Amino acid sequence: MSLSCIIVEDLQVAANYLKNCCEKSGQVEVRGHFSNVTDALSFLNSNTVDLIFLDVEMPGANGFELLDQIAFSPKVILTTAKSEYAYNAFQYNVSDYLMKPFTFQRFMEALGKIQPSKETISTNSAADHIYIKTDGKLIRLNNDAILYIESMGDYVKFVTVDNKKYITHNTIKNLEEKVSKDHFLKVHRSYIVNLHKIDDMRENLLFIKGNEIPVSKANKADVFRRLNIV
Amino acid sequence: MNNLKTANAFVFNAEIDTNYLNSLYGEDFVYLQEVFETVLSDYQSLTDNIEYSYSSGNLVALRSAVHKIKPVFGFVGLTAVQLQCQQFEQICGTAGSPDSLAGDFETLKNKIFQSKQIIEEEKKKLEVFNSNCS
Repeated sequence: MSLSCIIVEDLQVAANYLKNCCEKSGQVEVRGHFSNVTDALSFLNSNTVDLIFLDVEMPGANGFELLDQIAFSPKVILTTAKSEYAYNAFQYNVSDYLMKPFTFQRFMEALGKIQPSKETISTNSAADHIYIKTDGKLIRLNNDAILYIESMGDYVKFVTVDNKKYITHNTIKNLEEKVSKDHFLKVHRSYIVNLHKIDDMRENLLFIKGNEIPVSKANKADVFRRLNIV
Repeated sequence: MNNLKTANAFVFNAEIDTNYLNSLYGEDFVYLQEVFETVLSDYQSLTDNIEYSYSSGNLVALRSAVHKIKPVFGFVGLTAVQLQCQQFEQICGTAGSPDSLAGDFETLKNKIFQSKQIIEEEKKKLEVFNSNCS
């Protein structure tokens, strides 16, 4: 496995230590170290990485604001351990927390949690349906039956027009590449929506059959492009 | 990290948790010297931030500033100071005003000042030690 990463950390000694751990692991290539969100965002606007080591409390914007503004979904390892970030960590598909300083062994454990996306979807992106693995069986979902897909950490939830919810082991990042581009669009790092099911949009929210779906700044332009605005 | 040196002769200050340092760096004393140097180069700005937050009466900023410096002590093996920072963070979370934690702040401030002296001394010792080993 070879992962590309960036380190977003304003404590120099911690950033250096992380770099050393990455080099020592032989599994992670550090493509940059940034001591604030603005610089990291500038890099990520023109580069993608598999993994971000992210401190949350930094001068100016905090780490989660960075995740809000990037247009792809890398794996994230937080280099903080404040429990008050637990809810956000869940929302942002954080793979692990590292409380500084951590041993190399602990670092490797965190790295071990970075797994390739699970192949629980059987489809080609032009098809009018997908199959998902759930409850030990393959279930066919027609594209027209799906309202939206929501991230739940290492799982995703499919919400359908008949208000059923199917939970399967997968990620938004993986699904983004597999679902029909004609029907679906990622509007937030935690949501893919069926464009044909959108009822209305207000500010940074989409409404689909009474469900509020947030639209991230990074994805808003894409949403406007895909909506048939006259 | 750099080449390991078998150097049982190095004796750390008694305040430093050598087992903890060993769990982080093994016996890589060259890298350890770099760690102490890096910590010292950032020390002033980290402590200034704590002082400023306290003097301006901003408990949220003070808690954040102490949270920021906390792991620094871990990186140099001053685990008791790291724990003291942790406890002060908790006090900040429940304190009603800066005045109510004046005593705890003074204690922490003194400890942080003493810690800088220890880190400076250890860095010098490491410089000598590493130059003798090379």
